[in-house]
Amino acid sequence: MSPSILDRQTTIAEPGYNRFLVPPAALAVHLCIGQAYAFSTFNLPLTRLIGLTQPAHGDWNLKDVGWIFSIAIVFLGSSAAMFGRWVERVGPRKSMFVAALCFGGGFLVSAVGIHLHQLWIIYLGYGVLGGCGLGIGYISPVSTLIKWFPDRPGMATGMAIAGFGGGALIAAPLSVMLMAHFKTATSNGVLETFVTMGVIYFMFMMIGVISVRVPADEWKPAGWIAPARPKQLVTSANVAVESAWRTPQFWLLWGVLCMNVTAGIGVLGQASPMIQEIFNGRVSPAAAAGFVGLISLFNMGGRFFWATTSDYIGRRNTYMVFFLLGILLYAAVPTLGHLNSTALFVAAFCVILSMYGGGFATIPAYLRDMFGTYQVGAIHGRLLTAWSVAGVLGPVLVNYIRQYQIDHGIPKAQAYSVTMYIMCGMLLIGFICNFAMRAVNSKYYYKAPSLGKTPVSAQS
Amino acid sequence: MKIRLVVLWMAVGIPLAWGVLKTLENALKLFQ
Repeated sequence: MSPSILDRQTTIAEPGYNRFLVPPAALAVHLCIGQAYAFSTFNLPLTRLIGLTQPAHGDWNLKDVGWIFSIAIVFLGSSAAMFGRWVERVGPRKSMFVAALCFGGGFLVSAVGIHLHQLWIIYLGYGVLGGCGLGIGYISPVSTLIKWFPDRPGMATGMAIAGFGGGALIAAPLSVMLMAHFKTATSNGVLETFVTMGVIYFMFMMIGVISVRVPADEWKPAGWIAPARPKQLVTSANVAVESAWRTPQFWLLWGVLCMNVTAGIGVLGQASPMIQEIFNGRVSPAAAAGFVGLISLFNMGGRFFWATTSDYIGRRNTYMVFFLLGILLYAAVPTLGHLNSTALFVAAFCVILSMYGGGFATIPAYLRDMFGTYQVGAIHGRLLTAWSVAGVLGPVLVNYIRQYQIDHGIPKAQAYSVTMYIMCGMLLIGFICNFAMRAVNSKYYYKAPSLGKTPVSAQS
Repeated sequence: MKIRLVVLWMAVGIPLAWGVLKTLENALKLFQ
């Protein structure tokens, strides 16, 4: 039977193929699925489908609509964990295609839910189907990029994962523009926007599907020689996903990612009310929206900057910087609030959010260093469950502790101080996990069944 | 190959640049 155009073997690059064609293929997928970060632009319009300008009787409430994003993030983590091995087996093209079908299809199914005014259909569409598209799409290009860039794995995956941050920067104004364009006397334009975005995102992700290539088994960059003595904490062996998640290193990295994400995600979700409440009367809602935009830019830029930096200073040292600098900055935030120093406050959060993004972008290269390239995509998929946990933990910590403080008579401007110190504690746990990192025991190394020897990656 | 490289990078770079520009316009309100 001849191989399908989506099969891994039909995507093996011909000799002389320019490896810099692969990052835009990965970006085509990540720029689309990064839309998830901007889903909140639909929250208010979805609560006014009947009333149009104001919520009317029968309209959904904000709390129930908020579940759409939460379900999508849970399915992002769980689908990445479940389908990681399948993604490794079938290759990036087929998995990107499935991701495009799920993500684009999620919008279309949700449009049906809007048309019938059935919220459960949107939960199923954007939440479950779209969430699976997010998870599969997120991990699809990671292992391919690491194999194409053995000399710069951090930079390569940083580029793709920066695309996920960039996706929100595109989706937020695009959603607003489309809703304004489709708005009529009888519709607020959300249904039409969902259909349009589903089609646009599917087509854009197909650019990645068509252009992605995997390197031949023995391929390595011209003139590049693997270091004879690998750096400390960089393995030349491989660990299979089923063994990897039984190692202490996997769970230490899980803790590193979970703590780093928890510290950033809560702030990202509450950035606008937080700056307005801390600097009461001095920061307008428009300026607060500007603050959200600015930290989103640093979230994206940090992904590329820190992941690239990790190629030079090492993954462990990069996370040491995240945790130590993060603790210092979070501890300084209450003081900056008391000093009414808006500029320093904004600067501190720009750095914090750059390290939040950097944590996401550097983790695939860290996994490659610890477990080799063999099933790094699948291992990354399982590690992303830390994101799902952090996605609940971070906002809960920020929102509930703030509310608890206010209920106990603490002024709003000071209600975030305790939260910031708790974030310092989370980062300290992350620091300890990272500090405890050691090379994986050789008993976990993958041994190829037919040859009975430990394979090393094609590049090493 | 070079044309393909330029076209592909433009395909992802132009929307991203547009998104960054729109966000920067929004972020400037913080300093006004």
